[in-house]
Amino acid sequence: MVKNNFSKFQGADKYVLDDELAEIVNVSMALEMPLLLKGEPGTGKTMLAYAISESLGMPLIVLNVKSSMKLVDALYQYDTLTRLNDSRFGDSSRDVSDIEEYIKMGKIGQAFVADTRTVLLIDEIDKADTDFQDDMLDVLDQMEFDIIEIDKIISARHRPVIIITSNAKKDLSDPFLGRCNFHHIAFPDEDTMRMIIGVHFPDLGRETTDACIKTFYGLRKLEGIEKKPATRELINWIRALKADPDFKLSLLEQGNVPYLGVLYKKSPDMKVANGAIARHRG
Amino acid sequence: MFVSFFYNLRDHGIPVTPTSFLRLQRALCTGLIRSLKGFYIVARSILVKSERYFDAYDRVFAHHFEGVELPDLEDFELSEMAKLLLEEWLKNPAAIAAALDVDENELNKLTPEELEKYFIDRLKDQTEAHQGGNRWIGTGGTSPVGHSGHHPGGMRVGGVSRNRSAVKVALDRRYKDYSQEGPLTQSQIGEALKKLRRMIPSGPMDVVNVQKTIYETMRNAGEIEIIFDRRLADRLKVVLMIDNGGWSMDPYIPLVQTLFDYTRNQFKDLKTYFFHNTIYDRVWSDTARYNKPELVTEFIKKDPETRVIVVGDASMAPYELMAEGGSIYFGEKKRKPSIENLQFLAQTFRHCVWLNPNSRRSWENTWTTDIIRKVFPMFELTLDGLDGAVSHLMSRN
Repeated sequence: MVKNNFSKFQGADKYVLDDELAEIVNVSMALEMPLLLKGEPGTGKTMLAYAISESLGMPLIVLNVKSSMKLVDALYQYDTLTRLNDSRFGDSSRDVSDIEEYIKMGKIGQAFVADTRTVLLIDEIDKADTDFQDDMLDVLDQMEFDIIEIDKIISARHRPVIIITSNAKKDLSDPFLGRCNFHHIAFPDEDTMRMIIGVHFPDLGRETTDACIKTFYGLRKLEGIEKKPATRELINWIRALKADPDFKLSLLEQGNVPYLGVLYKKSPDMKVANGAIARHRG
Repeated sequence: MFVSFFYNLRDHGIPVTPTSFLRLQRALCTGLIRSLKGFYIVARSILVKSERYFDAYDRVFAHHFEGVELPDLEDFELSEMAKLLLEEWLKNPAAIAAALDVDENELNKLTPEELEKYFIDRLKDQTEAHQGGNRWIGTGGTSPVGHSGHHPGGMRVGGVSRNRSAVKVALDRRYKDYSQEGPLTQSQIGEALKKLRRMIPSGPMDVVNVQKTIYETMRNAGEIEIIFDRRLADRLKVVLMIDNGGWSMDPYIPLVQTLFDYTRNQFKDLKTYFFHNTIYDRVWSDTARYNKPELVTEFIKKDPETRVIVVGDASMAPYELMAEGGSIYFGEKKRKPSIENLQFLAQTFRHCVWLNPNSRRSWENTWTTDIIRKVFPMFELTLDGLDGAVSHLMSRN
């Protein structure tokens, strides 16, 4: 039996966690495996990492992956320029002959050398190329990397909790997938959505919640939309409605949808939605 | 534990690995899994790595742990096919009616449920009396290459199923993967295409050139002189044209799919077009070759340094290639014979190749292939062929 000595994750203040995901997060932490999350944009993939860090009291380190990123950027940086400068002017407290003074940790490096166990969020891994992904998983598997300039091996003091998100519909490479646990966050159903709204807007009346949810799911069903509004859009939309002193519930019931721009981010989508709403209002 | 479950998953086409199975055993040892539901979730997260297989996983799980009958796979596929047809029907009733050779009004009288049943029956006929493929099955929304993120490879097309299983048996030679001529995998394609890039400095000058900085600093008698460079970025433009129609290309769908997947990941500036058999006045950027046509003559606006890769078997009836108005599609009035369009493309873009999934030996036996070979440098869609194609694409002239 592996000893079960870690605290368990059970959701956070602003994060409604379904049982499935809770189970998967806890098993991944127990097995010390990275957890790969996929799902529609705006369903809370990134937010999960924030929620874990908040509820377990671990610092969160976010690595935002960019397409041009090289693995070494995520591990450490050798600041040659400062060193050159110091060697010229000699007025800093650093020792120019000691390269280590000019090594700065990248995000993965920071997670490795941190004093406590951290949550490492690797956001949108699919932006980087396949080599980056595979090499990174090697590092995360071994929990150590080599700083070539000073030939020093950095090993993780505490194995971070690793959450990886991917928006892509395309597949990641097999060796990569083999080293992760996988979960696909489905779009929340109406009941879950009601809970999510309840968490974010505790003072929102039941009638308003129902009307908003009804309108929202109606809009999600529209055909020919490129980017469907997701949880994030719904929350922002309700925030906009709440901020508007002129907003009345009867507007929604009549089939009007104010602040459509909060829900739809692309102009062709706006057009489709506007047409549908106009038809609906008749 | 659960070894038979593991094999059951494998049998149903879910790529589960022994490593992940061992990991599941470890998870069981943590004592965190206390219910069947928990086991279901955890096993899925550890074993299944894509939501595409979730459905299959569910079916196997229900069968294994709750004794649910596994639906006959063929029936299942047929009903999936029928659903697709139904969707197509809703979008474009006339086209489907024409393809099925029935009166549109007749079908209009049926309810959606009846329609679906009707399609299933039609598809069953199709599988039983296999006539070497019907065009509507090749084109009816299930093209070899998908935009929607679903791999049609997992969704078998009724009309070719007989054909494919034969191909599968033929390809099922266990050591074939080691041979250079064997079917390409994604990583092999990756290796072959890696040379296909053109690194050009671009963007802001924000990278310190350490070598030059030291040199210039020395020249400056030790006064620091920092030299910045632009970053190198891959600026290669690639146009990929894929023959995705007709039953003659169907056996190669998985192969072309792999190529397409790879190129889509690899190249920033990639345009993909589809055509059927050969290129007439238009190519399409949607797989159904219906919504987004683009005039071939417009291609002259593109950068002549663009690399053009055409993928197709280049075999067709001679008149399709040579005759004026040779298109097999009714209603497409062509002024120019297709061969002139091909010549136009080959002249506009210096760097172009034709990748042919048929083996080189068969080229001379197909009259049209031989003609097209004279217009486009033609390479086999194998590892060696790709190598040749890439070096041709990257050569200076």
